[in-house]
Amino acid sequence: MSETMRGIEELTDASYEYGFSTDLDTDVAPPGLTEETVRLIASKKDEPEWLLEWRLKAFAAWQEMEEPDWAKLQIAPIDYQSISYWAAPRQKPVLDSMDDVDPEIRDMFDKLGIPLHEQKMLSNVAVDAIVDSVSVTTTFKATLAEAGVIFCSFSEAVQDHPELVREHLGSVVPIRDNFFAALNSAVFSDGSFCYIPKGVRCPMELSTYFRINSMNTGQFERTLIVAEDDAHVSYLEGCTAPQRDENQLHAAVVELVAKDRAEIKYSTVQNWYPGDENGVGGIYNFVTKRGRAHTDAKISWTQVETGSAITWKYPSVILQGDRSIGEFYSVALTSKHQQADTGTKMIHIGADTTSSIISKGISAAKGQNTYRGLVKMMRSAENARNYTQCDSLLLGKECGAHTVPYIEVKNPTAQVEHEASTSTVGEDQLYYCRQRGMNEEDAMAMIVNGFCREVFDELPMEFAVEAQRLLSVSLEGSVG
Amino acid sequence: MSVATLASRTAALEQVGSLSLPTKRDEAWRYAPHKALGRLTFGPATAPDVVPADVAGQIPEIDGPRLVIVNGVVDRGRSRLDSLPAGVELAGLVDSSGDLAGALERQHEGAEDAFSVINRAYGTDGALLRIDGRPTEAIHIIDVAVPGDGQNASASRVIIEMAAGSSATVIETRIGSGDTFGGSNVRTEISLSDEANLEHIILQDLPSTHIHLGRVDVVQAAGSTLRARLFNLGSDYGRVAYNVHLAGEGAHANLSGLYFGVGQQTLDQQINVVHSAMNCTSRQTYRGVLDDASTGVWNGGVDVRRGADGTDSEQSNDNLLLSRQAEVNTMPRLEILADEVSCQHGATVGQLDEEALYYMRSRGIPQDEASRLLINGFADQVMDDLESEAVRTWISERLGRNDG
Amino acid sequence: MLHVENLTVAIGDTPILKGLDLDVGAGEVHAIMGPNGSGKSTFAHALAGRDGYEIGGTITLDGVDLLEMEPEARAAAGIFIGFQYPVEIPGVNNMYFLRTALNSVRRTRGEDEIGARDFLQVAQEAMDLVEMKKDFLYRSVNAGFSGGEKKRNEILQMAVMQPKLAVLDETDSGLDIDALRVVAAGVNALRGPDRSMIVITHYQRLLEYIKPDFVHVMVDGKIVESGDHTLALHLEDHGYAGFVNHDLDDAPLSGATA
Repeated sequence: MSETMRGIEELTDASYEYGFSTDLDTDVAPPGLTEETVRLIASKKDEPEWLLEWRLKAFAAWQEMEEPDWAKLQIAPIDYQSISYWAAPRQKPVLDSMDDVDPEIRDMFDKLGIPLHEQKMLSNVAVDAIVDSVSVTTTFKATLAEAGVIFCSFSEAVQDHPELVREHLGSVVPIRDNFFAALNSAVFSDGSFCYIPKGVRCPMELSTYFRINSMNTGQFERTLIVAEDDAHVSYLEGCTAPQRDENQLHAAVVELVAKDRAEIKYSTVQNWYPGDENGVGGIYNFVTKRGRAHTDAKISWTQVETGSAITWKYPSVILQGDRSIGEFYSVALTSKHQQADTGTKMIHIGADTTSSIISKGISAAKGQNTYRGLVKMMRSAENARNYTQCDSLLLGKECGAHTVPYIEVKNPTAQVEHEASTSTVGEDQLYYCRQRGMNEEDAMAMIVNGFCREVFDELPMEFAVEAQRLLSVSLEGSVG
Repeated sequence: MSVATLASRTAALEQVGSLSLPTKRDEAWRYAPHKALGRLTFGPATAPDVVPADVAGQIPEIDGPRLVIVNGVVDRGRSRLDSLPAGVELAGLVDSSGDLAGALERQHEGAEDAFSVINRAYGTDGALLRIDGRPTEAIHIIDVAVPGDGQNASASRVIIEMAAGSSATVIETRIGSGDTFGGSNVRTEISLSDEANLEHIILQDLPSTHIHLGRVDVVQAAGSTLRARLFNLGSDYGRVAYNVHLAGEGAHANLSGLYFGVGQQTLDQQINVVHSAMNCTSRQTYRGVLDDASTGVWNGGVDVRRGADGTDSEQSNDNLLLSRQAEVNTMPRLEILADEVSCQHGATVGQLDEEALYYMRSRGIPQDEASRLLINGFADQVMDDLESEAVRTWISERLGRNDG
Repeated sequence: MLHVENLTVAIGDTPILKGLDLDVGAGEVHAIMGPNGSGKSTFAHALAGRDGYEIGGTITLDGVDLLEMEPEARAAAGIFIGFQYPVEIPGVNNMYFLRTALNSVRRTRGEDEIGARDFLQVAQEAMDLVEMKKDFLYRSVNAGFSGGEKKRNEILQMAVMQPKLAVLDETDSGLDIDALRVVAAGVNALRGPDRSMIVITHYQRLLEYIKPDFVHVMVDGKIVESGDHTLALHLEDHGYAGFVNHDLDDAPLSGATA
């Protein structure tokens, strides 16, 4: 065993590939959070009065709220007054074409493997790129506009489609939902907005890449996706950050609205900087993601979480309409000193609603991985169904895997099934692969990828490849 | 009573004054009726002037030694403590001789809470059972709550110590009297030495006006085996918590239980098994049937500590909802800090199998009868290999009442 | 080609192999027979390099010392073990597994990796050999396979890997007569002047299909008798009792402590 253990330690000692920072000329607000900060953000963004009031209401609520009790997470106290709540790359506020994008920003995204030049783009994916708090460019706007799809930064949406934003903002995640949602509501800076009109099937995948660049800044994006009746959209989200010794705070809110028969597929590959092998630095990733599914609508969350020092997120679905469907597919890998507390909430309100949850947790080195989930069948959820499967894989002696599901059923016709298992990579599996000529690293990566197969199968092709590679990198210690 | 015991009880009494009751934010008390808990009143144990007549009929007919506790005080008249089998010491706590400090002051893995502190403070009497042999007759401990005018709830303790290689069956029956609000708070502490073997059965059947707060702490040495069975049937809020610590290599804990709720009952089981030694196995198998507007709660945890390699654990919790107003909350938790473990859990919630009902009806069995057969079949699986015929009979009769 | 001299293997404090000598020449097929617990499987895994064995003596393949090599290096050197209990790997499909294995070996040998299309060709031939359907390639490695399918999969892998020395450990156990015929036909098709085989079996049955050049009897960690295929027939008639009796010297000792 000991030899394998040593192998695993080496495997999991991966260095962080995206640890560069780009020297951008950045406009940063002084640290601290007061009503003035909230007003500053709103004025920087030239926001309408109703939105400022909404932010101030959220700020007042946040001040009264208590920070969550961290259950399984071990976390140093966060000083909310030492964070800067506004940082933007200094550039022209409105971009007329790709050529106006700051070349350094373009270089940065090239390094990340995300070309912003439309002519360079091979894949049929529209990208909204967000650096620190601000959206720097959105590609393929024209093609999307032809189909009637609105895909733009949140700030633009506030200016150009205020009625849509006002109708849906906070409709799924209310201001007072939780401590970090309230904080985000007060200080969110930018994010993505998607609107798919009635009956439209979005002609391409929509994608947002988030990048934290500045030091000591928090990142608070707000994403809102509205799919009208019979609309379809697949949305991808990718995240990276440079290596820093301090912990940086990322508290985003994502709201999805799927109207009757609409379908939203939301995929995340999260690779924020996880901190070094001594647990120094790394992103605190506290995210509230929730969707509301109306009659016959479907919302599907897929996430691959390999980064961040701490991940705290529960992408959820309110199954409000009859026959609506909620899905949650998750791979969470914790290595080094990473902690992940993630899962989902499926709230069944409508009749004949179904949800399925597939969660794969991988713990290595000193990583701690918790699945925490809620399946709630309300009295009205006639014939509702849930199936949950949580599997944990332990790769070492110092890591931990925890499973904390809550199942609450108030309707006798509802059926809930929950299964969980915990296992290790078998010595016999490794030996079998090695007898066939593979080295230990390759064998380990192959077995772990096999463990995650059901989730990777849910990702769009480009992301599935990226996810497998990320997992291998996180496990292998080899860069690239 | 030793000086140490007295000191700790005094400390507990002092604590009682400043206690805050559990709230909804406490995971283990999330679904408890917090208002009703606040109406329980405890005080120094006092036997009632008269034991009501309805008590005798509730006690299962089980031959052999028995100890009866009424309102936290041992009732010698109703107990059978003469001619105990060889190797069995059974006495009231206050009557016990020798140094009890070790038994009374044992620290346990599970966190103490307001009600366990109250138990320490007022649970001055109860049962002390020491087994050093392999008695064939089951030992029966009966706890009776009779709400009084001064205080409506009682506290008592049960201490079971099994010597190395010993083996026994212990049945704890918990009942009450009357239709006024009240209840009992019973703490059982079990210690199993090497290779000891205990079957421990709790029959909880207090009146529907009562609250029962049961707590069982177990520490197991190497190679010991615990079979704990819970039949959680009575009380308005009937709660039994188990904290089992597998502290010695190769220990086994097999916990199972049935809860059957009717009316407005909430039946709450809080199970936590800690694996801190190598090669231990644990099983948790619980089934719930919830009728009318009853609520079932099952919060079962397996906690595998660092170094507990070779752990093998399984949990399952299956529930049947028989009514539109019934509900169930189930949380099968795993916390694992060792590798080389095999841990599995599962939970299901559903209603009677329509196909099976239809099949039986097509063979001429009336709907009610078919339902009853299915429910019994579901519940019976918890009673597999339950040896005591007396307990079997008592449960069947008791459940027959519910079905009728 | 394979040279084994005075091989001893212990697992913990328990000695399993107690001085085993064996030479296998190129193109030869050797059968090793013996009662349960005689150390046959341990010998196979000592060749493959399983962790946890305390090893003494020598094993060389074409003069190269195997003992210091990791399992994957031995695979690259040309050792293939058909496992008695093939391991299940959920989520990893057979095709991907095989291609990764083959390319790992080729990389180690400094050969070019094989592309997806060429590989499919190789795999197709191997599948025809063991009469397997195409969907087989897309199922997870051994997960949910029947006993017969697992053993056929081992032969399929052998056909793809083209080893120098194949060690088939109880490949016949758990096979019905049709599966046995298919497996044996596969093995026979892979016989050749450059490929040696060691067939480990408890029963003579398999040897009716795969004719060995030499038969060895292993008892208590040693080869106690060697001969041609007629030795297997002798064993079929008389069992291992005659050979086990060689160790009667130890009987009083073990009896004394009981």
